[in-house]
Amino acid sequence: MRILVVEDDAEAATAMVRGLSEAGHEVTHAVDGAFGLLEAQKGGYDVYVVDRMMPRLDGIGMVETLRKGGDQTPVLFLSALGEVEDRVVGLKAGADDYLVKPYAFAELIARVEALSRRRETGGVQTVLKVGELEMNLIARTVSREGQDIDLQPREFQLLEFLMRHAGQSVTRTMLLEKVWEYHFDPQTNVIDVHISRLRSKIDKGFDRAMLQTVRGAGYRLEA
Amino acid sequence: MRLPSLFRRTPFRLTLLFLALFVATASAVMSYVYMASAAEARSRAEASVRAEVETLIGIYRTRGRTALNQTLIDRTLRGDKYLYRLRDETGQVVTANISDIPSGVDSGEWETFRLTVTDDEGRVQRRQSIGIDTPLSGGEHLFVGEDIGDIEAYLERLTQALWMAMILVLVLGIGGGLIVSRRVERAMGRLNRVVSAVQEGDLKVRVPVRNSGDELDELSQGLNTMLDRLEGSMASIRHAGDAIAHDLRSPLTRMRAKMEVALIDAEAGRINGVDALELALGEADSLLKTFNTVLAIARLQAGGAPDPKVFDAAILARDMAELYEYSGEEKDIEFESEIECDLFVEGNQPFLAQALANLIDNAIKYTPAGGAVMFRARRRSDGAIEYSVTDNGPGIPEEDRERVLQRFVRLDSSRTEAGSGLGLSLVTAVAEAHGGRIELDEGPGAFDGRGPGLRVALVLPPASPPEDTAEAE
Repeated sequence: MRILVVEDDAEAATAMVRGLSEAGHEVTHAVDGAFGLLEAQKGGYDVYVVDRMMPRLDGIGMVETLRKGGDQTPVLFLSALGEVEDRVVGLKAGADDYLVKPYAFAELIARVEALSRRRETGGVQTVLKVGELEMNLIARTVSREGQDIDLQPREFQLLEFLMRHAGQSVTRTMLLEKVWEYHFDPQTNVIDVHISRLRSKIDKGFDRAMLQTVRGAGYRLEA
Repeated sequence: MRLPSLFRRTPFRLTLLFLALFVATASAVMSYVYMASAAEARSRAEASVRAEVETLIGIYRTRGRTALNQTLIDRTLRGDKYLYRLRDETGQVVTANISDIPSGVDSGEWETFRLTVTDDEGRVQRRQSIGIDTPLSGGEHLFVGEDIGDIEAYLERLTQALWMAMILVLVLGIGGGLIVSRRVERAMGRLNRVVSAVQEGDLKVRVPVRNSGDELDELSQGLNTMLDRLEGSMASIRHAGDAIAHDLRSPLTRMRAKMEVALIDAEAGRINGVDALELALGEADSLLKTFNTVLAIARLQAGGAPDPKVFDAAILARDMAELYEYSGEEKDIEFESEIECDLFVEGNQPFLAQALANLIDNAIKYTPAGGAVMFRARRRSDGAIEYSVTDNGPGIPEEDRERVLQRFVRLDSSRTEAGSGLGLSLVTAVAEAHGGRIELDEGPGAFDGRGPGLRVALVLPPASPPEDTAEAE
């Protein structure tokens, strides 16, 4: 995946470029919004990772300009500002996701990969398939190897998100934000509890576990 | 030195401005009254003189000059107000009750002149008079006039009285202006002294309030309230700063020690360096979390709830109940919820969600295995919206209930559990930022070997539901 990192803090940028490259991505770095805009206009990127506060052209200005120019490449905002209204302003400007500094690296990579996947599956789908696991979005049914699985509405949403990001790591925070649509720190393992209930429904009785725990990051649904 | 500075004061300048306006207006009105009265008096006198002339000419026509002459004499003797003079065709005066008629009066036009009169007390007055000379058919000239001196005197007295009134108004006005501006200046001086004291960094000063209810008092009260809030914010920021500095020291020290030990162990090949680093990373993360919470508390206390919106607290309660439904399973804790409908509040949803998460989390954490946690959202009889979490754990002794709401306070009995001691402080800050409060009570009471339990309620003022729920987003 080709990623453009726009970040003025040299140290943070170096760490990010290294981490994302390590994860197998091709990373380009721009030192501020104006350079970022120039680089973005060359095209060919899958995701932009943009720091919100930068000299010359800040992240908001850069993303607004890109969106006005018709560039729909997914944008992940990075910011030291964690206030609710900051998040809203960032998303309104055209960002697709928002990550507050400081963040765990696993979180950044998971979110970047989730964003790129979103674009690939832009079309309307009625059936999701991951290996032998099948989800019908119209009938709202789930089956594995032809065996019907009975899920509660939230479990269905949780599995849908995991299936849409199959093969990728998703973090607990991402699940709380995208499935429950809440932004707060749940303190304990609430998400783990829901995952383990889901796991008992889709993996129990089958010889291979699809829903795996990724140490230090979160979960991953494997085909 | 005093007066020039006084002239720069707004109240005094306003007083002067209004006085000038008043004098100008009063002068204009007076001039108008004077001129209108004078004109009115004169035209009335002219009409009456004209009527007299008509009568006399009638007598002359019908009964001749002698009869006219006789009439003039009779009327003069009778004491009529008119002034007469009859001259024959040669210009010789035949009859006259006045002497000083101006020369050249046979113009047939109205004459204004001064009549010299000696009054009863022997004083000589020159009184204003008017008259007209009319040529008669026999070549005689008849002059008829009237003394209008009384009207003039009346108008003069009126003018004098008005001038006196104006002078009085000026004196009182300037005096009043001086007093008012001194008062305002003194009040302003008090405000200015407070403002300069605040500029110098003294937040303890307050403006004395006289409770007179005037706008200066309102300003003083406003300033005092502002200073109260400012002082409160400063104090809480200072307190937060102190608390962070103080309380972050021990985890920082712990982290440093762990890293040092890990380094030694790794160098000696006793442990895996990666494990040591992961431990350190975990410590750093929990430190960051603590730091963020302290910051959030300080912001809530200083600035209230950010970005408040009206929303249904019942929906939030249902979501939270669903989220935590199975969290107690591992400890065999029964989690139940009772949620009423349509509980509208105005506030910041993420912060309220965080507060509820903290409450539910605490309850599950401190309730021993096999216990129960009840989560409720309801409207109280006084209309307030109340979230409450009740458990049947050990509870908190009454004397400690105030204390646990403070930052970094952890009761000895809870030291074994993980936690920063900030959970309830954040809930309190969220409640207060929304104009609400936290209530701590005993739970269902002690029985069956279980502690008295704890009931924590987050009480919020209700809001009216949005006009159109569909568009509330």
